[in-house]
Amino acid sequence: MLNVGLTHFLVISVTLFSFGMYGVITRKNAVMVLMGVELILNSANINFIAFAKFGNYGLQGQIIALFVIVLAAAEAAIALAIVINIYKTITNINVDEIDSLRD
Amino acid sequence: MNIDSIISDLIFIKPEIAIAATLVLIVLVDLISPKSKTALPYISLLGIAIAGVFVVQQFGTAEFAFKTSLSSGMFAADDFGSFFKIIVLLASVFVIFFSISSSEIKSVNDHLGEYYTLMFGMILGMFFMVSASDLVLIFISIELLSLSSYVLAGFVKNTVRSSEASLKYVIYGGVSSGIMLFGISLIYGLTGTTNLYEINSIIQIQSFPHITFLIATLFITVGLGFKISAAPFHFWTPDVYEGAPLPITAYLSVASKAAGFAVLIRFIKITFINSIDHHGNWELLNIIDWRSIIVLLSILSMTLGNFTALWQDNLKRMLAYSSIAQAGYMLLGIAVLSDQGLTATMIYFIVYLFMNLGAFFVVMLIANEIGSEDIEDYKGLGKTMPFLGVTLAFFLLSLAGIPPTAGFIGKVVLFIALVDANMIAVAVIALLNTVVSLYYYVRVLKNLYLVQVDEEKPVIKLSFANGFVIILLAAPILIFGVYFTPIVNFAKNSINILGF
Amino acid sequence: MLTEFGKVFAFILTAVMFVLIAVFAAKLIRPARPTKEKLTTYECGENPEGSPWVKFNIRFYVVALIFLIFDVEVVMLIPWALVYQDSGMLGFLVGAIFLILLGLGMAYEWRKGDLEWARPKITPLVLTKTEPPEEKQEKELNLGE
Repeated sequence: MLNVGLTHFLVISVTLFSFGMYGVITRKNAVMVLMGVELILNSANINFIAFAKFGNYGLQGQIIALFVIVLAAAEAAIALAIVINIYKTITNINVDEIDSLRD
Repeated sequence: MNIDSIISDLIFIKPEIAIAATLVLIVLVDLISPKSKTALPYISLLGIAIAGVFVVQQFGTAEFAFKTSLSSGMFAADDFGSFFKIIVLLASVFVIFFSISSSEIKSVNDHLGEYYTLMFGMILGMFFMVSASDLVLIFISIELLSLSSYVLAGFVKNTVRSSEASLKYVIYGGVSSGIMLFGISLIYGLTGTTNLYEINSIIQIQSFPHITFLIATLFITVGLGFKISAAPFHFWTPDVYEGAPLPITAYLSVASKAAGFAVLIRFIKITFINSIDHHGNWELLNIIDWRSIIVLLSILSMTLGNFTALWQDNLKRMLAYSSIAQAGYMLLGIAVLSDQGLTATMIYFIVYLFMNLGAFFVVMLIANEIGSEDIEDYKGLGKTMPFLGVTLAFFLLSLAGIPPTAGFIGKVVLFIALVDANMIAVAVIALLNTVVSLYYYVRVLKNLYLVQVDEEKPVIKLSFANGFVIILLAAPILIFGVYFTPIVNFAKNSINILGF
Repeated sequence: MLTEFGKVFAFILTAVMFVLIAVFAAKLIRPARPTKEKLTTYECGENPEGSPWVKFNIRFYVVALIFLIFDVEVVMLIPWALVYQDSGMLGFLVGAIFLILLGLGMAYEWRKGDLEWARPKITPLVLTKTEPPEEKQEKELNLGE
């Protein structure tokens, strides 16, 4: 029987974090980049809850996770609104081609 | 921490409550009378004035609010925080003046209610940032500041560059705050707390896997470095500053940067302090070499900012690079890791507030008339707008650090602190950078006065109110450039961070 | 010896197997004579036209966003609901202030007209037969890069 411990949770969270960073760096579509950001935030959430559970740190970590969920939702809402705004303006959300501001 | 102590601690966050109440009031006024927008700036100014009174009253208190244990709390009401709150409030007052006469903001007159609401969201975020002594409160307040500023950066709808600015801001900002949160979660895992004071007492006695702690701290530094737009986390700065409406650019470059600096200083000083000797030098714990990290960031920011600013054609973008370079100078004061260096940074901030806001204001007034921020379009404008030309020259020379402006005093205090700490090499690099920066500031002046143009240049009229605001911004630079004792004393009296 | 979860698992397994066996048995026994008419999506309704990948009205998006924010903010109320009795009236007031602020946000959206379902004045999307459906897809928010 596999004993699920802290390490397993940390492996998942680091994997999610890496996937998120990979998505942010390689994806060209703005919505995909924002999904990468969500992955990063959620990997931190897994960390908080896993540490709170296995480190016997009390409930603080889980409360923090609740706050982060709310913040992530707010950030997603604002980011998507901004993406819609730019799509209405120039009908393109490819971050490589949005480059009117550059050196 | 029961609910009665939370309620009784509310007296420590009176300024924040005033700001939040004003935010709600603005929303209500906008709901009740959606047609008339003229009252909104005055309500905002009133709210800022009330908050200002509370902040001034709070000078001298050193108390924890929302205690998590006997000697630590989420929120530290101390002089250091009050100092940065005053900087934020002053910047807010000026930015509201800017917004009244900005043509970009006038074009979205229907949404002025949202504009001021979001601005108060930013102020609230910055107020909690500068006083937060808990990583979670730091993160949440940074997010409150960021979310409001993402929207404000793209506030001029249907403009390509404004929309683009907010998209870039939200992507870079989201990534960096995500990385910061991951760092916070690692620190929470290592120490079991997010309170800076408790982390400090734990890392003083316990040793941790060194590399994990280093990575976690660096991740947090990424988030803070993004806020103060220090290289190499500066990528968003030029684009956002160029694309955002000018009052918001000015606000981001001063207030949001001040709040970021306050958090960075508090984070380093509280978390990693071991002891302070009687000269005021901070003895840091031997875990992370903060001095090297900050010196590296600072030299990168100065050099990159100054050298890239050399070939910018857009004055707004040039000022963006110049503000990256200024962040580099201010980081030097922290790198000294002593009370003297901290004082120097704070003095520089007072000066930077006036000169940077002033430069942006004049650029905005000119852009209102000629519809461009291109340095080429400034040719010969010195003759058609004598007052604006002279004041712009004055602000730019102060940014470059020429006597007798206050910018000179700010730089001199910084260099003295560096030399006292035996960081001669760094001081020389900073000095060379100042010389480089002179070139691009003077280039604007050359276009204003020395270039002969044949075509007719538009005459730029200046309203009495705007002239008064310019004088309000320029007078302190001139006065503090000659008589600088008050700001030095003010900064010296407000370096008390709670607990030390 | 089955554990409690083992019993549940056996129960679920039986249910799934029952459905699968019934479906496959029916497929084996029944006659299969498909015609073109039978295979259309709505056999006795209108003929479907064009691609299903049409643009949704932006209003769906606004409503979804508003729902998302309110939905998630209510998460904050769960910890409060668990402990507010211990704090008496004061605890109740704290939650009430939070709810009033949420209500203010709701009132704001209402007043600004984001909750009005005014019919947009766009002509209905008519797709001609000559237009290949692939082109239509590309005009959507390029989600798959």
